[in-house]
Formats: sequence, C-alpha cells, structure tokens
Amino acid sequence: MVRLKDLPDYEREHLLSKSEPPLGPPAWTPLAQEISRSRIALITTAGLHFRGDPTFQFADATFRPISGDENADNLVMSHSSVNFDKTGFAEDVNLVFPINRFQELAASGAIGSLAAIHYSFMGAGLAPSTYETTASQVAGMLKQDKVDAVFLTPV
Amino acid sequence: MSALSYYLEREGISTTGISLVRENTASMQPPRALWVSFPLGRPLGKPGDAAFQHRVIDAALRLLNRTSGPVLEDYPEDAPTVEVDHAPACPVSFAKHTKETDTWVDGLRAELQTLNPWHDLSRRRRDGRTLVGISGLSMQENLEKLGRLLDEDRLPDAELKWFKAAIEDLKVFCIEALTAKPGEYNQQQIENIFWFETRMGSAVLEFNDRFRDHAELSAITRIIAPRAATINRKETGKADTSNEDL
Repeated sequence: MVRLKDLPDYEREHLLSKSEPPLGPPAWTPLAQEISRSRIALITTAGLHFRGDPTFQFADATFRPISGDENADNLVMSHSSVNFDKTGFAEDVNLVFPINRFQELAASGAIGSLAAIHYSFMGAGLAPSTYETTASQVAGMLKQDKVDAVFLTPV
Repeated sequence: MSALSYYLEREGISTTGISLVRENTASMQPPRALWVSFPLGRPLGKPGDAAFQHRVIDAALRLLNRTSGPVLEDYPEDAPTVEVDHAPACPVSFAKHTKETDTWVDGLRAELQTLNPWHDLSRRRRDGRTLVGISGLSMQENLEKLGRLLDEDRLPDAELKWFKAAIEDLKVFCIEALTAKPGEYNQQQIENIFWFETRMGSAVLEFNDRFRDHAELSAITRIIAPRAATINRKETGKADTSNEDL
C-alpha cells in the first residue's frame, strides 16, 4: 500500500522528493452535463502502447493514441521506472487502463459514451511542466472528439 | 498525472482520476483526484475483479459532480492482499549455478528452456496475451546478447534503448511464466523469486552493478533494478551469492 508511513525510509524519501508545487493558478472546468450524458476518454501515464508503436524514451513527454476499436489486450508497457508492480498489469489490462470497465459503463448508460481515441503518456523523469505542449495537443484532439471529461490513471 | 489534469482542465476539459501518492497530489493540487491506498502499479486495486474496479471508478467519477475544487478525496477501501501460503506454488525449482563451466549465456539459455513451457501455458491461460515484445527481439536473442555482454565484461553503452527494452521483456517474461497457474498471487513473492532466485534476475542485478561503477552511465541504474531489489540484495546477500561462481 502506498501509505508513506508504511514504506521504508529510502522509498518514502524518494516519493516525497517528487512533490512539486501547483503549476499555476487553479484550473477548474465544471462538468458541462450529467455524467450519464458525458463522453469520457481515458488517459494513462503508464507508458502503454501497442506492440508495433514506438516505445517511450527514458524521459519522454510524447503520447501514444489508443483506439477504442483495438483490442486492449495487445497493449504493452515501456515505462522507464522500475519501481512499481507489473504482475497485476500482466494479469489484467484493466488494472491500469480500465477500458473494459468503461465500455461496461457506456453499455449500461452510466456514462453517455466512450471516446473514439484514448491516450497514453509515460510519467517519469521529467518536470511536470514539460507536458504542457503535448497535453495541449491532446486537449485539442479530445475536443474534436466531443469529449466532456477525462479519467486519468497513473502507475 | 497531476500535470495532465491541470493542463487539460485549463483547456476546458473536466478531469478526474486516481492518485497513488497522496502527498504528491496534495502538493500539486490537480482539480479532482481520488487517492487510493493501492500499491504503485495498481491504480484500480485488484486485477481480475470487475466489481472492485467499478467501485473505484464510481468514486472517482462522482468527483466530477463537485462544484468547486481542488478536490482530493480518500478512497476508503484497501486492496485485498494475498497471503503467500494461499498463492499458487512457484512452478519452477531454480537450479543452483554450477562452477566455472556455467557462463552467463549457458545459464540464461538453460533457464529459458525451463521457463518456456510455463510461459506458453501462461499465454494460453491469458488467451494469448503477453507483455513480452517491446525489444523487437525474441527472448532467446535477447538472452544470448545479454549473456555475451556479461561473459565478455562489456556494457551495452551504445545500445541503451535496446538494453532497457530487453531487460523489461525479460522481467515480464519471468513474471508471466511464474504466474502460469490460475489463481491470485502475492506480488512481492513473485518479485522476490525473480530478483533473488532466477538467473535472469541475477543478470539484471549484475548489469546494475556494472553500470553503477561506470564513470558516465551510473544514472542508468535508476531504470534497471528497483531500489527494493538492490537494497534487499545488499542486506540479505541473496543474489550476490549466485554470481560468486562466475
């Protein structure tokens, strides 16, 4: 469990060293409509991509699109960090990228719809502000896809 | 994750999501986040448990209804842990390394032969799914190449991208082979077997040591072996003994 008090000193100090101040004045976009009518995209920072896609570099703010039409079981991971569990993701893609769960939510009407394209970044080795440009690019593509909200998962 | 949340929200897209390290999220103050007590690498808590995952997702989605923020809410449920005694037994008994004749290439090749049937079984259990393959080479090709580097006391300093992909392939190959049987596993047990019992884990730690002593490339160790493995190895001496014969 990631309760810092439960971790060894070296691990706690490492994780605390990653705490950064806010990137700027608070940003807040209220949800435009009810969740049951909203179009939702998934974004992960787990360094996921399909096997034939370029792997992520050691420090890399680029992103990989993940089409909702493709089989998520073909996703692989090229994350530079080695300090997290991979046994769970090997067992179930939804543990990190819950695409099947969101497909179920769309089918049941709990969310309005699921985006056509989702996105994967690799969150390690760079200052948070490094992601500004590519995040803005993704925001533009999400708007083209009429996405209302994003569900984010780290690793 | 906090940075993406901030930048997307600034561009007019609502966001919610999972926080794994509460202190980091509290510091950066993204608009909405649900902190979970799950291990790093497991943001949805439990593999193969759709009901558990749905409860986490539902709690995070409900944050979208908040009218002001930033919101950092604590998820109340811990992920269940699997006791080692209740996990399926390791399918492989790893051989002790032999004396002078046992080169890294020989040892890695032999271990691949031992693990291959279990990896095949694992893929069948997972309907063909595998995480192996980001290096673009087969396991045999990767292991021969890594073994030769170790036997010849060389570092892949001109092929770092391949090297990183190869050791990631090697790790997930072992993880998948060791979890070939159906059941719920203790993740730390699998990690410990990989790092302290397999020849492949020893090889990765050996590269870690050699990079650590390199004048310009010591930083590479951060992407080779986890802190827990290198520190536990020093404290227990477990993995060190496997290399004394080489």
